[in-house]
Amino acid sequence: MSQPRPELLGNSSDGTPFLIGQRCRHCSRVAFPPDPYGCEACGALIDQLDCVELRAAGVVQAVATVHRHHREVPPTPFTVAAIVLDDGPLLKAVLTDQSAGAQVGDRVYGIAEPPDSSPPLRFTREHGGPGVDR
Amino acid sequence: MTKNLLAERPVYVVGIGFHPYRHRSDATYVTLGLTAVRQALDDAAVAWADVEVAYTGTALLGMGASRIMLSRLGSTGIPMTQIENASASGSSAVAQACLDVASGRSDLALALGLDKPRGGLPMGPAEAGMANLEGGTIVPFTHFALLASEYMSAHGVSPEAVAKAAEKNHRNGANNPNAQRQKIRSLAEIMAEPISGSMTRLQCCPVGEGAAAVIVASEEAISRLGLDRSRAVRVLSSATRTERLYGPGEGIDAALTAETAKVAFEQAGIEPTDLDVLEVHDAFSIEELLYTEALGLCQPGEAASLVANGQFDLGGKCAVSPSGGLLAMGHPIGPTGAGQIGEIVRQLRGEAGSRQQPDARTGLAHMVGVGAVCVVHVLQRG
Ligand SMILES: [Zn+2]
Repeated sequence: MSQPRPELLGNSSDGTPFLIGQRCRHCSRVAFPPDPYGCEACGALIDQLDCVELRAAGVVQAVATVHRHHREVPPTPFTVAAIVLDDGPLLKAVLTDQSAGAQVGDRVYGIAEPPDSSPPLRFTREHGGPGVDR
Repeated sequence: MTKNLLAERPVYVVGIGFHPYRHRSDATYVTLGLTAVRQALDDAAVAWADVEVAYTGTALLGMGASRIMLSRLGSTGIPMTQIENASASGSSAVAQACLDVASGRSDLALALGLDKPRGGLPMGPAEAGMANLEGGTIVPFTHFALLASEYMSAHGVSPEAVAKAAEKNHRNGANNPNAQRQKIRSLAEIMAEPISGSMTRLQCCPVGEGAAAVIVASEEAISRLGLDRSRAVRVLSSATRTERLYGPGEGIDAALTAETAKVAFEQAGIEPTDLDVLEVHDAFSIEELLYTEALGLCQPGEAASLVANGQFDLGGKCAVSPSGGLLAMGHPIGPTGAGQIGEIVRQLRGEAGSRQQPDARTGLAHMVGVGAVCVVHVLQRG
């Protein structure tokens, strides 16, 4: 029997995707992605970790356009970013093709990809944000 | 209080040997390993029968690779153990060999780094059941391309300034007969062929096959076996640490390097400014800048200018990656960390020929590996 991986994404009533993170009751660490084993900061057991909704929005800390990839999906070139979420955690994600020109410091937000896509969510530059039309 | 065994019972590198790093060939791992070990035994002027314990650092060979290889030097029955520590496997084999001698359990120990990649690297973390939004896109070259982006943005450094570290290491590798890449490259050549972000093909290390052997000895072994003291290089310290949790903006690899180096410097009783030669995990050019800063050779953001004005060249203040580093000598995984020790020893003996750092007395070898792990050794000639 395979061990199910934690769900990463949820949808608000208005259809906006959010990220499912965890907050540790013992040390207050907020983590993303959610961990199936326990708290990486203090070692608290999984039953001490509460699911929390994290806004799929943040600031680009680093960005790279990838020209060589060992898989067919996503097709190259594609652009990835390290993003510091407004709610704390740092994650790495693929940007939409329209936001391939994103730069460090740009605000980005997550948009859901079609079902069964890999990755299931990409980030795109925020409308009216400082990085648009650069 | 824990003991620093290397301070209590000195350990010396007395022999080094290599099988050149190169593209995968039809040669078996046994041929690669035996070539390096025989060269190290000759270099140390010891017999296989004198070796009391052996550690093989390998990430890819699989179970039970050591005895069928090393018994071809004679089935002496000594303890043999394989060490897997990702890219730092060879470094950790050296660490265990040093610990074995420092503890007094043995007087003469072999550390062998050896690998023969077979396409695809089995990665433990991928089996850990962790989900993420990366969809398999963050392979090592992209992990480091992102660190390059962050660094260049934070410090106003250009892609060309980062690439100059690769230009230097290709130049050093051109003088190393054991290097996988032995060709001087222009900055224009290095800037061609983008792979990920600002990282180009020649700013990414080649992963091939090879072997590197290191023989370490106690004072007693040096006396008893009549070894050449003038060529013995002391291992002042050996430090291993793993990643903790760091905040956004604190690069994992650099923060881990700084923590591990702090232990290594304290135990060795030296300062970063004492270093004459340095081999770092420069699998990607940006890493040389990150780690020279994390090791305390300069302030954050300064390394690119030190590369540009030749401070890290042979003949500069501290020669960085005189072997060519992972970028030019290559990164066959298991051998790499042991090979770094071999290069530092060659430099500190003054036997590095056309790539000799003048008057080199103190050196440091640094590896990081997937996990993340970090291993640092400080060496000094008498
Ligand atoms: Zn906790």
